[in-house]
Order: sequence, then structure tokens, then C-alpha cells
Amino acid sequence: MKHKNTNYSADHARYLKRTKRGKIVVHAVRALILAALLGMWELCAQTGVFDPFITSSPSRAAKTIADLAAAGTLFYHIGITLAETVAGFAIAVALGYSCAVLLWLNERVRAIFEPYIVVLNALPKIALGPLIIIWMGTGYTAIIFMTVLVSIIVCIMNMLAGFAAVDKTKQLLLRSMGAGRAAMLTKLMMPASLPAFMNTLKVAVGLAWIGSIMGEYIVSRAGLGYLIVYGGQVFKLDLVMAATFILCLLAGGMYAIVAIIERIVVKRRG
Amino acid sequence: MSVRFAGVSYAYHTPSGETLAVKDLTFEVDDGQFVAVIGPSGCGKSTILSLAAGLISPSSGKIERGDGQFGYMLQTDALFPWRTVEQNIFLPLEIKRKNTPEMKRNALMLAEKYGLAGFLKKSPAQLSGGMRQRVALIRTLAAGPQTLLLDEPFSALDYQTRLAVCDDVHDIIKKEKKTALLVTHDISEAIALSDKVIALSSRPARVVGEHPVTFGEGSPKKRRECGEFAALFEALRKELGI
Repeated sequence: MKHKNTNYSADHARYLKRTKRGKIVVHAVRALILAALLGMWELCAQTGVFDPFITSSPSRAAKTIADLAAAGTLFYHIGITLAETVAGFAIAVALGYSCAVLLWLNERVRAIFEPYIVVLNALPKIALGPLIIIWMGTGYTAIIFMTVLVSIIVCIMNMLAGFAAVDKTKQLLLRSMGAGRAAMLTKLMMPASLPAFMNTLKVAVGLAWIGSIMGEYIVSRAGLGYLIVYGGQVFKLDLVMAATFILCLLAGGMYAIVAIIERIVVKRRG
Repeated sequence: MSVRFAGVSYAYHTPSGETLAVKDLTFEVDDGQFVAVIGPSGCGKSTILSLAAGLISPSSGKIERGDGQFGYMLQTDALFPWRTVEQNIFLPLEIKRKNTPEMKRNALMLAEKYGLAGFLKKSPAQLSGGMRQRVALIRTLAAGPQTLLLDEPFSALDYQTRLAVCDDVHDIIKKEKKTALLVTHDISEAIALSDKVIALSSRPARVVGEHPVTFGEGSPKKRRECGEFAALFEALRKELGI
């Protein structure tokens, strides 16, 4: 641990002030851009530059959110999409990690499955939509399945790359100590590939949202994706915008949680 | 006898062909002896250690091993950054399932004896290069091997650190009465450390000379000051064809 030195020279104090000011500027400009965009949008909608029937407006979207909340359906829709996304994300990461371990354990198995993984990765998963509906029905399983499908391949490929990047010298060292596959995996491969794992989580979060909303587009009776599709069909753009706003917040929030977990994990490793 | 090579050859196989790494290699390492193997870069020196440790089997010839286990020390310290120094030292105990309180205590005593007491709870990243290499040595010794296989363990260090760590490692190995087989491409390092220097040809590696080193009272520092040092250096240089 490095001890914090509180006895700065005047030069260092200036440096600290400069970095702090830089950070404040970044945050301020960020907030300003958001406020300006929303403000302009609202203004254009109010003054008739845009037709709010087509573009909606921040105030109308906010009102729609308030109405949904008052009707008691807001958290129902959020809950369903969130549950589908988190379930799909968790399954994809767990299953993807396990597959990567299996493929790492056996070089020949990896060689056999490589082309299948490549094709499955390149395939636009939405093409499987009709099949998924027919096979899995129109319930949540179909949407979760879609979420898993969209995110699992990247989990497998990312983790395989993570395992492949583990220092060969350390592997030789463990082998010289007589380590078997299991010890190699738990003592070296898994801890050494932790940064790759955290990276995988970050990518998988974004893909899980794509999967769940795509799934809801194809087949759903509730959820934020359902609200967006429904709003589009009946030309209620306020509903589309309201659901999109909430989606932004949720997706950003989930990414932030993963980023915070990463920071804690990395810090604990020293 | 700790390990004896008798007419050992080893070939690597790749789809594009086979490469003979060592050819008809014969030499012996006695118990408690420090043997250095030198040869030009890429002559198959590391292969010799892998063969000695039994990680690979010879294509032909025979390798006999005495009692006692082998411990490896590699070019880089290969400390695990997510483990503390102490946990790094316990690593071979965990792998060999010798993770008993007694073995742990022995390992810690060893660490304290060689000046690591104050560093046990630190992370390897907080240690200097020389200190890290010492941790790597104590880690190798923790499981109680009789023979140490050293694969250019100083080559990743800067020159000054290298001299210090070289003496340090030699000192610890002699004090713990271990047998050591060192491979290196550094002639002066080989002379300074070992009881016997074996010179190899370029690939496929064959023995081109064997020299017992007896001067300088077995201390690397004193040896470097001896007149014989330069003479042996020259002889080896000629044998290696440099």
C-alpha cells in the first residue's frame, strides 16, 4: 500500500487543482450537452418546429412515464424486461464460461467446434426468430433463449482468448510442480483470466439488452420492448420515447454495476 | 547421483518437420553438486531441464534420477500477482497436496531465514526484481525438492541486480545443501556458480567439454577475482566457438 502524502509542494498543489478542474469541466459539459439536447427538443416541440405527434417531446414522455406509474404498469413492464435480461445474461455468462473451459481443456474438441462457433457468431440471431417462437412458445423462455443466444458466443470467444493469453511460463511452472488439469484451471487459468472475465461481463451486458429487446420485438405480451413495438404500431410516439428513456437508464445502470464490480475486484487483487 | 543422462537424444515434432534438439547427451550431476550447462542461445538448453524434470521423455537414450524431487526455477520469477508473497510460496505445497501446517511452517521458516519476513503479506508488485527472484527461489524450495533446475533464472534482471541475485541464490542453494542443474548462455555466470561446467555445441546439442571448477573456495565473488577465472573463460569461449 502506498501512503498518501498530504505534504505537497506548491507545484503539486497546482497540479492537483488542475486535474480536479479538468474533471469538473468534463462532467459539466456532459450534463450541459444532455440538457441542451432535451431543451432544444422540448422547445422545438412546443413552438411547432417539430410535430410532437411524430417526435414526441421530453415533457410528453415524462408525462407518459408518470401515467404508467399511476396506472401501476410501469414497474411491471420494467420488471419483466429486467428479469429477462438478467436471467439471459447470467445463463449466457455461466454457460459461456463453462463452454470455454471445456474447449480449453481439450484442444481437439476446440478444433472440432471452432467452425460451428464461428458460423453461429456470424449468423444474425434474429433470423432464428420464427424457429424460436415455434419451438419455445411465446412465453418468457423464448425471450431468455434469444438473450442467451445473442450473448453466449462472445462470452465463449472472449474467455477462450483470455485463457490463451495466460503466461506460458506460469503454465510451465505449474506443470513442473505436477499440477493436473483441475489445479491448472483453479490456481492459474481462472485467476489469471479474471480481467478477461470482467471484460466479458461488460460486453455481455450490452448484448443481453440487445437480445431481450429483440426477443420482445418478436414475441411478447409485456416489457419495455413490447411497449416500444406497441407504441410504434398505434403511433403513440410518447410511449416509444418513454420506454426508450427507461431502457437507456436501465442499460446504463447495469453497465455501471458491472464496472463497479470490476473496480472492486481489480483493487482487491492489488 | 542426482540425475544421469546416458546417450540422450530428443527431437521436436512439428507439421513442417522434426528438429533434433539434443543429440547423444551424456553427463552426470552428483548429489549436492552445482552443475552449469552452457551453450549458444537456442541450442536446446531448456529441453535438457524439461528432460531432467521428466516433463518430456527422451526420443532415445536413458535418464536416471536419484531420490528426491525436482524444483524448477524459470527465466522470469513467474510470481502470481494476485497472491501475496506468502501465498506464492505456498503454491507448490497446494499443488502437491502437501499443504500441511508443518510444511507451511517449514516454508515460512525458510522465508524468514532468507530475509523475507517483512514481505510475506505484500504483493509481488511491491518488490524489487532481485527480491522477487529470491521469493521465486524460496517458492521452489518450499516443497522440499532435493534438486533444483535453474533455467537462466537471472537473465531477466539488469546487470547489477544480476550479480547480487546470482551470489544470493548460490549462497542459499549451498546452505540448504541442494543439488542444482543450471542452464545459461552466460559463461562467467556458469564459472562463478558451479562445481562443474558442461559446454554444449549449437543445435543439436552435444557435450563439447566438461570442466570441474575448484578454485575460489566455492564463492562466486572470490572466483571472479581469481586468475583462473579468465583462463577458464577463454577455454570455454573457444569450445563454444564464440
